[in-house]
Amino acid sequence: MSHSDKFDVIVIGAGHNGLAAAATLAKRGKKVCVLERTNAIGGMAQSRDNDGTSVPYIAHLLHNLNPTVVKELGLSSAIKLKELPTIALDPDGRHIEIAGNKAQYTDGSAHPDAAIYEEIRARIIKFGQLLEPMAARTAPDLSEGASFAGLPELMPLAKLGLKMKLMGKKEMREFMRIALSNVYDLILDDMEDGVLAGSLAADSVWGMWTGPRSPGTVLSLMYRYCTGGQSSLPIGGMGAISHAIADVAKNNGAQIRTNSAAEKLVVEDDQVTGVVLKDGTTIETKAVMSSAGAFQSMMIGGHENFDVEAVRRLRNVRSKGTTAKVNIVLKDVPEIAGLSDSQMASRLLIAPSAYYIEQAFNAIKYGEMPPAPVIEAVIPSLSDTSIAASGKHVLSAVVQYIPYYLEGGWNDKARNKLTKIVVDTLSKYAPDLRDKIDYTETLSPADIEQETGAPGGHWHHCEFSTDQMLAVRPVNLLARYAFGIKGFYLCGASAHPGGDVSGLAGRNSALQLIKDGAAS
Amino acid sequence: MGKHDKYDAIVAGAGHNGLTTACYLAKAGLKTLVIEKNDMIGGAAISRELYEGWTYSNCSYVCSLLRQEVIRDLELPRFGLQVVPYQGSVSFHEDGGYFSSYDDHHAFRREVARFSEKDVDAYDRYSQLVMRQCRFIRPFLLRTAPDPTTLRPRDIGELIFLAKRIHDLGQKEVGEMVRFWTMSVGDFLDEHFETPIIKAAMAGSGIIGTGLGVYSPGTAYVLLHHYMGDVDGSIGAWGFARGAMGAITKALGAAFKEAGGEITMGSGVNEFLIKNGKVSGVALDNGDEYHAPIIASNMDVKRTVLKHIGREKLPADYVRSVERFKIRGSSGKLNIALDSLPKFPALPNDNLMFSGDMSCSSSLQNLEMAYDDWKDGRFSKKPFFDMLIPSRIDPTLAPPGKHMMSVFTQYCPYDLNVDGVRSPDNWNEATKKAFADSVYDRLEIVCPDIRDRVLHAEVRTPLDIENEVGLTEGNIFQGELTFDQLLFNRPVPGYAQYNTPIDGLFIVGSSTHPGGGVMAAPGANAAREILRRIGKGKSMPDFNPKIAA
Repeated sequence: MSHSDKFDVIVIGAGHNGLAAAATLAKRGKKVCVLERTNAIGGMAQSRDNDGTSVPYIAHLLHNLNPTVVKELGLSSAIKLKELPTIALDPDGRHIEIAGNKAQYTDGSAHPDAAIYEEIRARIIKFGQLLEPMAARTAPDLSEGASFAGLPELMPLAKLGLKMKLMGKKEMREFMRIALSNVYDLILDDMEDGVLAGSLAADSVWGMWTGPRSPGTVLSLMYRYCTGGQSSLPIGGMGAISHAIADVAKNNGAQIRTNSAAEKLVVEDDQVTGVVLKDGTTIETKAVMSSAGAFQSMMIGGHENFDVEAVRRLRNVRSKGTTAKVNIVLKDVPEIAGLSDSQMASRLLIAPSAYYIEQAFNAIKYGEMPPAPVIEAVIPSLSDTSIAASGKHVLSAVVQYIPYYLEGGWNDKARNKLTKIVVDTLSKYAPDLRDKIDYTETLSPADIEQETGAPGGHWHHCEFSTDQMLAVRPVNLLARYAFGIKGFYLCGASAHPGGDVSGLAGRNSALQLIKDGAAS
Repeated sequence: MGKHDKYDAIVAGAGHNGLTTACYLAKAGLKTLVIEKNDMIGGAAISRELYEGWTYSNCSYVCSLLRQEVIRDLELPRFGLQVVPYQGSVSFHEDGGYFSSYDDHHAFRREVARFSEKDVDAYDRYSQLVMRQCRFIRPFLLRTAPDPTTLRPRDIGELIFLAKRIHDLGQKEVGEMVRFWTMSVGDFLDEHFETPIIKAAMAGSGIIGTGLGVYSPGTAYVLLHHYMGDVDGSIGAWGFARGAMGAITKALGAAFKEAGGEITMGSGVNEFLIKNGKVSGVALDNGDEYHAPIIASNMDVKRTVLKHIGREKLPADYVRSVERFKIRGSSGKLNIALDSLPKFPALPNDNLMFSGDMSCSSSLQNLEMAYDDWKDGRFSKKPFFDMLIPSRIDPTLAPPGKHMMSVFTQYCPYDLNVDGVRSPDNWNEATKKAFADSVYDRLEIVCPDIRDRVLHAEVRTPLDIENEVGLTEGNIFQGELTFDQLLFNRPVPGYAQYNTPIDGLFIVGSSTHPGGGVMAAPGANAAREILRRIGKGKSMPDFNPKIAA
């Protein structure tokens, strides 16, 4: 082992959060090394090249990449985004186009609920933006309580309270009423259940083990919409985002090593001093950040180094994945009656009602696949010619309510069944889809776990529910990134504020590490 | 045109909360009238002799939440109230096994150990957690919820009290509390226990009376509504009111009369009389009118506002909020008169558990499936039930040798789905019988000869409960116990201190903080608010004298 191998910080996992952490540290002069288990960086945010066709491997759209992260890392020139409208597909052909908060039928005629839809969505975005500052910092530490020492930690809460007051009584009351409520009632109190209602309800449950009727879904919708709620397609594929962040890290001197799996931390006197790789080499470091799942990170750290209560809590982190990915490589673009060519390039949503979504959720509770799942599909090559070189297109489908714990387990037969369900569901809207399929690639939650290490294949690593949020994310008393051992930090989606390609968990964690002086 | 009489205060509805409010108003010297639409007082805490010699607890059936402070202060035992604690519970498994809960710690540990050693340890941790939450919440039951949007000194004082209570818990306990208050009872139990039947046995308390499933976030909190009570200071204990649940309201009625109050029965409030934003009296169905500057409605907020006040008399925002308030019927009941005790093949003869709660749910998944049926407007194919034989403890309820059985059942919808159409009109003799059969089928797993023992029975759907008691959709809590409807949100943000936009009109039933159960806390809190407004706040004891400095 050479002397140059000693780092300030080693980051485990080159998903977008790991990379954001590395970039944040490197920009502040830390000597950083990122260790990636697989041969490619990006984790869930990567593009794969399948015989000249670029496939968005798992994640395919951005909806709340955090502006603070973009600004701090100077990403705005490096990444190009194309905002996509949403087409909420209707089984009866009355599709709805949603751009921003405006909704209308795809033929341009007015939707009767458009005004109320706009009002609800705008309010959720407003409340989301109100909470966003809480997401963009470490969860508050209340251990000092209402004392002088505790003041700095109470300030953000006081600010939030003040902002709420400034909204006026009426809005403040509405916020306090709906914040922990369920999206199903919120929407259907004012709107007919249908395609438009379904489009809102769906955005509250992506990646989660909850249905629209579950309390807490309004909060998750606020989180998703906290930067405006707009879906964007990254030009050059999802991988371009990860690479842009990685470039910031590298340009500031960070190393990124693929095919380097971290096996175990070296801990001396309760302080991290190094990382042992799977191949047996040891790298010295002052601090380690892990973007792996919370439980998995604990295992890397060595459970014997954790408080017994912490171990129990970490064992109980809920991360039952609910989302599968089906990539359909197409010989040609299928047709959906009523949609123009440019509309086909939109974010296509199959969630025809809140009721439909709840029914789809029912199945997962018993380890079954729903016969009619909720799907978010996009054909990126229609918007991005840079990835359409092969002439083939890819219909990328995120499929909601596919259980990680499938009754009977995941195998080829189950995977084929999932593919069939998805193709059947899509074919209801695009009848010629089957004839245009070249081949399909199906990733169950179990496959996603296998590929990316995300526990349960879970989008958020750790279920995004109120009891695993903020000061109790991933678990009580380990919510401020510092993770049980001196110099060990959690920086992945299971840390505050949670998943989605937002970059916040990695960035916040890195800032906390610096603040704690753990790498100096 | 009937009578015209003047009072200082009128209470609409003689449920336990209405009577509690009435008692305090009368004791403060107000000339108070209680109006009850039925021919007897009691609301949902009622005993009825449907057949000679048989006493039915038609709706609520066990007692624990009734505030000790109220019992003592109103001297209810002097008026005949006697709560007899019962022990334990048993949950039957479909395969013939059972799991019992004992009050005795050692006995309970031995019982859990039959299934899992791990769960024995888990139980101690679990009880400690739940008990801490109970302790935390109990002081809030007899306080008015603060309005966080105002700057009134009293609201700020109450908020400081709340903040101080939370602060004093310390970081760790605050974290545990946030988790407990927001998680589902299913997840909470999964975290502790591994044995399906133990989890199922404990989950029942998290869903009783709600329109939520065991895996719906927020149901762990509902658990508290069934744990935070006590019988004579023994927290978490449950008891039977001697003479059935009507004994509670009978005692309250007698206390009220002794304080000089009047009760009129047989015709309910048709309309709250309102002039220039001020209430002046009530008009009854039979045409009688009574006048008073203070009217307290024991009816749920939806019924009060949407059925008995013209919406043009109220701010549109308020009406909208009331329309949004969720009161969902989810439970039904069978009251069964038995010519003898049925056989329980799974239990040894004369088992202690015959006197406690009995249920039959073998897993959380089964309970969740029962909820999924209800979401779709159907009664559960395999319903959850909480069954008791109160005559084992109180033999006066049935003729000698015979027994009364109470079977609380969930889930049962208000708007029944028949062929895709959801409507309460779908409840008829045939659908009611089908519902009853689904319950008997479950009961037969526990006592196979149950159908042969039935002398007569009363089947109560949410629609029946609405029609007879007046509870909207037959919801036993007068409103779902979800976060959007608790504390300062209950029943309507900005009107959570028992008041309404109408001057002089108050809501005093379970639609208000702290919610349902035969608790009498809403009624007592409301009385305190009313008396405070007329400058008589001191005439009622402050059950919570301590306000944080």
